[in-house]
Amino acid sequence: MSELTEERFRERAEAPGNDAGDGTSAAAGGSISVQPDEFHHARDIGELEKVFELESLSVSYAGVPAVKEVSMDIYKNEVTALIGPSGCGKSTLIRCLNRMNDLVPTAEVTGRLLYHGEDLYGPKVDPVQVRKLIGMVFQKPNPFPKSIYENVAFGPRILGMKGDMDEIVEKALRGAALWDEVKDRLDSNAFGMSGGQQQRLCIARCIAVEPDVILMDEPCSALDPISTGKIEDLMMELKREFSIVIVTHNMQQAARVSDRTAFLMVELDATEQNRWGRIVEYDATEKIFTNPGDPRTEDYVSGKVG
Amino acid sequence: MPDATRTHYQAELTELEVRSLGGLDLVSETLSRTLEAIRHSDVELAEMVIADDDRIDGRYLEVHQSILNLLATQAPVATDLRLIAALLHVMKSVERMGDQCVNIAKVIPLTGHEPPRDEEMMRDIVTMGHQVKSLVSQCKQGFADRDVELSRDLVRQDDVVDNLNRQCFARAIAIGDDIEMREWGITMMLVARALERIGDNAVDIGEQTAFVVTGLFREFEDASHPGPAVG
Repeated sequence: MSELTEERFRERAEAPGNDAGDGTSAAAGGSISVQPDEFHHARDIGELEKVFELESLSVSYAGVPAVKEVSMDIYKNEVTALIGPSGCGKSTLIRCLNRMNDLVPTAEVTGRLLYHGEDLYGPKVDPVQVRKLIGMVFQKPNPFPKSIYENVAFGPRILGMKGDMDEIVEKALRGAALWDEVKDRLDSNAFGMSGGQQQRLCIARCIAVEPDVILMDEPCSALDPISTGKIEDLMMELKREFSIVIVTHNMQQAARVSDRTAFLMVELDATEQNRWGRIVEYDATEKIFTNPGDPRTEDYVSGKVG
Repeated sequence: MPDATRTHYQAELTELEVRSLGGLDLVSETLSRTLEAIRHSDVELAEMVIADDDRIDGRYLEVHQSILNLLATQAPVATDLRLIAALLHVMKSVERMGDQCVNIAKVIPLTGHEPPRDEEMMRDIVTMGHQVKSLVSQCKQGFADRDVELSRDLVRQDDVVDNLNRQCFARAIAIGDDIEMREWGITMMLVARALERIGDNAVDIGEQTAFVVTGLFREFEDASHPGPAVG
């Protein structure tokens, strides 16, 4: 195991008052700062610990830029939402946060991405350990073709986690607000569950390995409103223990669940042949949805432009 | 920039604002009739003012329902959300202004058809009435144009009303010993008080204009801690 892996990250993640921040959060070109107004409820960033620090982060696929120069800080025990129109790079961005883009051979990430102060893309960092600490839940629930129990136990077993597996599974299922619904059929195939239950199972599978951060890429887009409501309630619970970053097309969902919202939009070059995503505004969610600072954010969240 | 979307919703929102600010035109008409009724002790006209308040109340209920519908179906945010929240306040103020006109109309019969009157006090009341009518018109203009400066100027204009109100009070005390004259003076004090409240409602609407534009909701003046205007 390399020196910049789980122990180092976990040590930093758990250190009290680690890197409390300087009171500003740079966004596009470092020009946007988070200044919560007195009537906004997001916590003062001066009190918050940074989980991620993105500094001019750009991603390209086969030399074609997908996201350009994103600078923002993501804070511990908060839900941070990434919103924006299709093609603005929000999924690309969230996939950078646990090095999922490593799996795309043509992907190139430039700039800096610090995780608890350590370079996430440093040469000695083990991407597998990164993905254990920074779990991900996808748009479409993707349970394994196994029992409910085995789905949750899979990760802890692979990682050789110590402890009573039954307890680990129960704790994860309780954490995902699923225990009461499945405790009597843990041996049933996960494919027999409803879509909403399958998604919560994926969340249980994610938290079973005791991550630090949960990334969610459109976690509710395939779910009905009741299941969506359950996942949203769950996020409010989960953020007590974990930090959450969510990509969502549903702006009302971002407004309901997140503490901070980043709005990205598509930029075109002069030829209009090439397009990439860029961050326009990043601020407390209440501010974004009641009094955004940038007219482009205003137009997007109001649905005035599509 | 992509083409504009949600055009139907935008049209609904525009119509909602027109209907709300139209409530101020109803108030302005009612105020003219109320002033006429005071000046001529016209009991019949006063009764018409009372009956006509149903139009203002109806507008209030109609706008209120439209606001609920828009909130429920369109999930407005940002400036749209502030506008809708402000219109709710505006309509409440419109409804209160209408009620103050009714309050005035109700006391007119108490003074009788040919009451004794103090011309100086009557002059102040009429001047107040015109000033208040001007405030109503100014608050509407300020809101429609999203003009914060014009809205903030309402405070200065309202000071004129407040001064006249104090003058009326002083005059009512000094009006003499005649019991009918005193009765008339006290009744006119109630009229002055109602007009003064309408002026305050106009200032409240001005504060809503500033809220829509700036996103900050602040009273222009704090009645409990008088001082320079803030926010």
